[in-house]
Amino acid sequence: MGRRNFLRSSAAFAGLGALAASLSPLREIGDYSSVDEFMQKYYKEMTPDDMSKVIKRIENEVQRQYGIRPHVRDLKPMDGVEFVYCLNLTRCIGCRKCVHACVAENNQSRNPEIQYIRVLKLPHGSMDIEKADHLYNPEAVPQKGFFYMPVQCQQCHNPPCVKVCPVHATWQEKDGITVIDYDWCIGCRYCEAACPYWARRFNFTKPEIPKERLNPNMAYLGNRPRKQGVMEKCHFCIQRTRVGRYPACLEVCPVGARKFGNILDPDSEVSYILREKRIFIQLKEEMGTNPRFFYYFEK
Amino acid sequence: MSPTPKRPSESSLRRTNWVLAGITCGFLALAAVLLATPWKPATQAKIPLVDPSFLEQTAWRKSYADLAREKADLSDFQCYVCHEKKNPPPLRYDDQHVLIVPDEHSDIKMGHGTHNRNNLCYNCHNEGNLLTFSTRDGNELQFAESSRLCGSCHGPNFRDWEAGVHGRMNGYWNHQLGEFKRLDCVNCHNPHAPRIPTRKPAPPPHPLRQPVLLEPQAPQATTP
Repeated sequence: MGRRNFLRSSAAFAGLGALAASLSPLREIGDYSSVDEFMQKYYKEMTPDDMSKVIKRIENEVQRQYGIRPHVRDLKPMDGVEFVYCLNLTRCIGCRKCVHACVAENNQSRNPEIQYIRVLKLPHGSMDIEKADHLYNPEAVPQKGFFYMPVQCQQCHNPPCVKVCPVHATWQEKDGITVIDYDWCIGCRYCEAACPYWARRFNFTKPEIPKERLNPNMAYLGNRPRKQGVMEKCHFCIQRTRVGRYPACLEVCPVGARKFGNILDPDSEVSYILREKRIFIQLKEEMGTNPRFFYYFEK
Repeated sequence: MSPTPKRPSESSLRRTNWVLAGITCGFLALAAVLLATPWKPATQAKIPLVDPSFLEQTAWRKSYADLAREKADLSDFQCYVCHEKKNPPPLRYDDQHVLIVPDEHSDIKMGHGTHNRNNLCYNCHNEGNLLTFSTRDGNELQFAESSRLCGSCHGPNFRDWEAGVHGRMNGYWNHQLGEFKRLDCVNCHNPHAPRIPTRKPAPPPHPLRQPVLLEPQAPQATTP
């Protein structure tokens, strides 16, 4: 081999090696998506077979990332069930336990922080959201002269977020829950802009969940870990409510201000409330969203 | 056979070599820089994890029924260890006609309602038998049935509670699929002072875009 050829080929080798090294950041792309995920079908078009494969992939992914084998399910709405949430504003003391129980149950990012529930502190005698404060942090709640109004996804009958989604990654299920397919979402954030309740949250970075606080009981449309660049929001704890349990925010409420149930069942708590209690507020009623979330006061 | 292509001139070959060497050096330099500083997302200040006490789902008080179920120490409910049978302790009042709680019961702070008419022992405790309660209409109730005692005055709330609307419920909204747990009145309300005490709220949301701002504030908050 001549000197020139030797120099050329060694330069070519070095050049190729350098090229590979300069492309090394692309290795990290594995954290964002896999080929299987890329080729995945639309949720409503998946056969049970497809779904079981997808669930296996998600379980493997979670195990790889967090070292915990989760139990992921694709829970379908029950027949004859439509969920309604009622919140008693006379009882709520603004302790924010619901906010953090929700974060723990639904595997929300801790850093940056993503929370589905925002507790508004409002002065007595006003329902003006402009006067609300959600960063209050006194020594003790409730404070005199204020009431507290937790706001989360209102699960509207007429959801503006669903209308604006350009890829149908969010839709309303027949039990009233508006869900998001995190694998179909393109992260355009139109729904966030459309929602009058600021109920939708966007994952600007890769969500950070401490391993020891990961909730392994997961649902495909519910609390499985999200990735960077997708929307998420309250889904009435699909992984709990679709197997008959109460949502996490309700179970942790120390004053029993939160009530949840099936509005189609005349004996349920929410039916009783809508029948017996007097004052209801559907937040921003004038928007025509017709929420499934009712605020009421005691007589 | 085609004629051999014209060999490029010596100078243009040299130029090509120099350009190739330049590109190679550029890639090598880029590789060195990238290997020295591996790709990492921008570091952010840590938002502390919430205290697990805020995730607690159990009631903050235990009822007599809970204690009996747990086979816990029930000696506090053995009234006749100190009191005499058939000789109920008399009620004593100060000059404002406010009940004086004896020193033996100094853990009890009376605060039932906004006026003083309900702050009397025998409104609920049975004067004839301290081991039971008695309602205003004279029914005798066991300690474990305290919720019915409360309901004898607080009718509307009792009705709501029976419907699952007043107070905390845990478990399953669908009673066919699992257990539905209802708490007793005294799991949340101290019967001697039923108003639920104020408490420290869980931490407020951090402004999403500026977690960095929160770092210097943390030590200040813990000093006092």
